[in-house]
Amino acid sequence: MPSTRDIRRRIKSVKNTRQITKAMELVAASKMKKAQQAALAGRPYAELMARMLAALADRVEESQHEFLVKREVKTRGIILITSDKGLCGPLNSNLFKLVTEIKTPAKYAVIGRKGTQFIARTHRALLADFPANDRTTFADIKVVAEFMVQQYHKGVVDTVEIIWPRFRNTLVQVPTVMSLLPLTDVKAAIAELHAATGTVPVKETPAESQMLFEPDAKVVLESLLPLYLNRQVYHQALEAKASEHSSRMVAMKTAKDNATKLLGDLTLEYNKARQAGITQEILEIAAAQFSAA
Amino acid sequence: MALTLEIVTPEARVYSDTVDTVVIPTLDGEVGILPGHIALLTQIEHGELRVTKNGVTQWLAISGGFAEVEGDRVHVLAENAINEEKIDEHAVEAALKRAEEQLAAARDIDPQQYEHLQSLVRYSGVQLAVKRRRR
Repeated sequence: MPSTRDIRRRIKSVKNTRQITKAMELVAASKMKKAQQAALAGRPYAELMARMLAALADRVEESQHEFLVKREVKTRGIILITSDKGLCGPLNSNLFKLVTEIKTPAKYAVIGRKGTQFIARTHRALLADFPANDRTTFADIKVVAEFMVQQYHKGVVDTVEIIWPRFRNTLVQVPTVMSLLPLTDVKAAIAELHAATGTVPVKETPAESQMLFEPDAKVVLESLLPLYLNRQVYHQALEAKASEHSSRMVAMKTAKDNATKLLGDLTLEYNKARQAGITQEILEIAAAQFSAA
Repeated sequence: MALTLEIVTPEARVYSDTVDTVVIPTLDGEVGILPGHIALLTQIEHGELRVTKNGVTQWLAISGGFAEVEGDRVHVLAENAINEEKIDEHAVEAALKRAEEQLAAARDIDPQQYEHLQSLVRYSGVQLAVKRRRR
């Protein structure tokens, strides 16, 4: 049986741990609220833009644009969005599981230090890594998106895909792959997104053969495409942030609850040990008195 | 027969209602949309967007983006959009001044920042114009 002193020491350390996890939970909770709001507010915009683009891609007959032409896929280009810090439950490891399932050759651009470490550790091709701080700004993400598009342009990669923890609710984040380039399967991607969120897509009108473009299709396409890509990656990064904070909050809450439970057990054990000590002492005193008498 | 108009910005869904007509400022000038319009995809300029419903016209200040007309649905995708009633003239004036000062002060800031400031200046100008036109 451990001595009361040992147990007391353990109780103290568990208490400290609980204090820390509690603080982290509170911090994560307040950040989560903001991040979730940002992610959910941007969702209609992102989806509407994707739909617009799909309509456009459908109707532009001379799909000469390099973003629209499917080419033979030798190397996949993947943007992986992870977190900078750990202690956020299974968030990152779930993403990595998805990455390990990719058997075809692929090159990665990673946001977040955890992802960079993983890609380096598993000897995958890392094109570039970017930090993932708490204030995700559009300008930061634009750099990532533009970098990847450049690689696509140069032929280093033949697709641009994005892996991020899709935010469903505070408890559920689903690691998801979505393809950004080429745009041939935008429609499929959007349908998938709708299925994932459970929202009903707006009823599609039968594709009319004619659509008017002003000034003309090419100009619209050329200004819409880069904006779409940047916005899409930005939106995904926002969602990843919301997921990270949610996941961290839940993980910290579990840790706190576990610490509380452990504390109860330890206190019980401590009291038992203390009681045993007292009983022992009384016994000894009684025995001494008995022998003296 | 009515149009369903939806104006969405990255921050929020600014407007969502059924309307009678909508006039959109595009690169090639203003385009009026009535029910039954041909499918259209166009680029929006900074400017004022007019919405008429039951004879009442509403003005919105809008910054660059895209508009899509498909059947009886009009989707507007813009960086910024604000209803005329919500424009705070003094705040906008202050913002405009700040942005202009920054533009004048730094000639060699990075192009993205420059672009952003310029767009801010134009959007502020548009907001003021929309706010003042009815006086």
